[in-house]
Amino acid sequence: MLGCSDLTVAYGDIVALHGVTLQVRAGETVALIGANGAGKTTLLQTISGLNKVRGGHISFDGSPLDSLSCERRVRLGIAHAPEGRRIFPGLTVEENLVLATSPWRPPGGRYGDEIAQVFELFPRLKERRRQLGWSLSGGEQQMLAIGRALMARPRLLLLDEPSLGLAPRLAEEVYERVGRIRRSGLTILVVEQNTVLALAVADRGYVLETGRVVLEGAAAELKRDPRVREAYLGR
Amino acid sequence: MADFIQLLMNGLALGSVYALAAIGFVIVYSATGVVNFAAGQFVMLGTFAGVATLVNGGWSLPAGYLGALAAMALFGALFYAVVYLPLRNSPAVTMIIGTVAIGITLQNAALLGFGSWPFRLVSPFEGMTVDIAGAVVPVHAIAVVVTTAVLIGLLWLLFNRTTLGIAMRAVAQDLVAARLMGLKVGALLAFTWILAAVLAGVAGLMLGPMWFADVNMGDPIALKAFAATIIGGFGSLPGAIAGGLFVGLTEVLGAAYVSSAYKDLIAFGAMILFLLLRPQGVFGERIQDRG
Ligand SMILES: Nc1ncnc2c1ncn2[C@@H]1O[C@H](COP(=O)(O)OP(=O)(O)O)[C@@H](O)[C@H]1O
Ligand SMILES: [Mg+2]
Repeated sequence: MLGCSDLTVAYGDIVALHGVTLQVRAGETVALIGANGAGKTTLLQTISGLNKVRGGHISFDGSPLDSLSCERRVRLGIAHAPEGRRIFPGLTVEENLVLATSPWRPPGGRYGDEIAQVFELFPRLKERRRQLGWSLSGGEQQMLAIGRALMARPRLLLLDEPSLGLAPRLAEEVYERVGRIRRSGLTILVVEQNTVLALAVADRGYVLETGRVVLEGAAAELKRDPRVREAYLGR
Repeated sequence: MADFIQLLMNGLALGSVYALAAIGFVIVYSATGVVNFAAGQFVMLGTFAGVATLVNGGWSLPAGYLGALAAMALFGALFYAVVYLPLRNSPAVTMIIGTVAIGITLQNAALLGFGSWPFRLVSPFEGMTVDIAGAVVPVHAIAVVVTTAVLIGLLWLLFNRTTLGIAMRAVAQDLVAARLMGLKVGALLAFTWILAAVLAGVAGLMLGPMWFADVNMGDPIALKAFAATIIGGFGSLPGAIAGGLFVGLTEVLGAAYVSSAYKDLIAFGAMILFLLLRPQGVFGERIQDRG
């Protein structure tokens, strides 16, 4: 479904991705793990169209994405819950959610089914739907960020460190929901420093180190891999 | 008392014009981060768009107003394409210099096109007055206050009840997240500039009959609108409204009761006091909106 081949991305002189090749097949959940600064966020932003590609290609459903704007990519079904959540702080929970339907919803069109599904997955958001974004707790903001991405009717969900800054119990709760989204059949690419959580939910994984893929394989294999155990699982 | 009511209405009318100019300034600032130093010249341009259609063109009132506002909308779109887009990734100072340069260009273009002799833009309510508790109040002043109140109500509806307005607020709060949500960020920013230009156009058309249409009128308006946003709170819409009314009222009441030479002292004195003591203004900046 998603293919990145030999992708190189740079910020001025700093090369953040050195020829990254990676695939996400339809229905799969793929984890991309790596330390801080490895280039995980850069990769997701490049898939979404926020960063310019210096070399290589990205394709989605077999057609090239390279020349498409962010907006066009969202329309194709690529939804992104970014690092740091980035929910709209001065909009209510409901406004945040409804806004994310604009790529597919005609003026005055309905969004009842979509919002009902998000509220079913995250009942807390329903309770807080009239509250402004900034007043939510970190865990609620993460749920809103994921819920907002789901409102876009995505076919590929990009999640950037959904556990970041959350207490362990909350991070597990968020990942439990990611597991449910996965079981609903949605294709997911999740980026994490929290290797345990990410590999537990994923089918396959890639390990990124300073902008290069150094390891890839089935999630179960990666969990057993001595290099992963030493560098990312701390044992 | 009768004098006071008359001054109050004139002050509110002038304050309404400042408030509209300040609102245009604030919505551009919140959405794009641009401090538009040409905001006063936008209002001047609105007045002269009215001079062009109503005085020089001899159009009927509705056609003249609509034509002038359409020209202002076009001007806002042009400003977006020619000034904002090329400079949007430049340092803030470059953008500021850009708006200053455009302001000076507009002023000189108006001088070339219309000359330095002031025009008189007539009001639809020319010469009409009403009696309020013994005070003789020009109908134009009431119409200005009412028009402004209606516009503020419409703006409130836009920003709180329509997807377009909520999307504009989202763009103002987090541009990157707005792009990731698939919002048409370019079109929304262009619309923000168009809206600001049209509001300045309305302000200019309403101000024309209160002042003379003079090519140098933009500078004092810019200063008053700027003072209004500082007093009300930089970036705050309610602040722009309250600040605009305050500046207009103190200007008119100050001229009558203090001294016409020092009529601006209260507003600018208040602005300086706010800068020193409460830089976030009366309403503060809604920090939660800015992320
Ligand atoms: N906007 C930017 N400008 C310059 N360098 C950046 C920018 N964003 C990220 N980088 C650099 O790119 C590299 C990868 O960063 P990032 O993709 O954020 O990593 P990760 O998400 O894995 O922590 C880092 O060296 C970082 O310093
Ligand atoms: Mg990151």
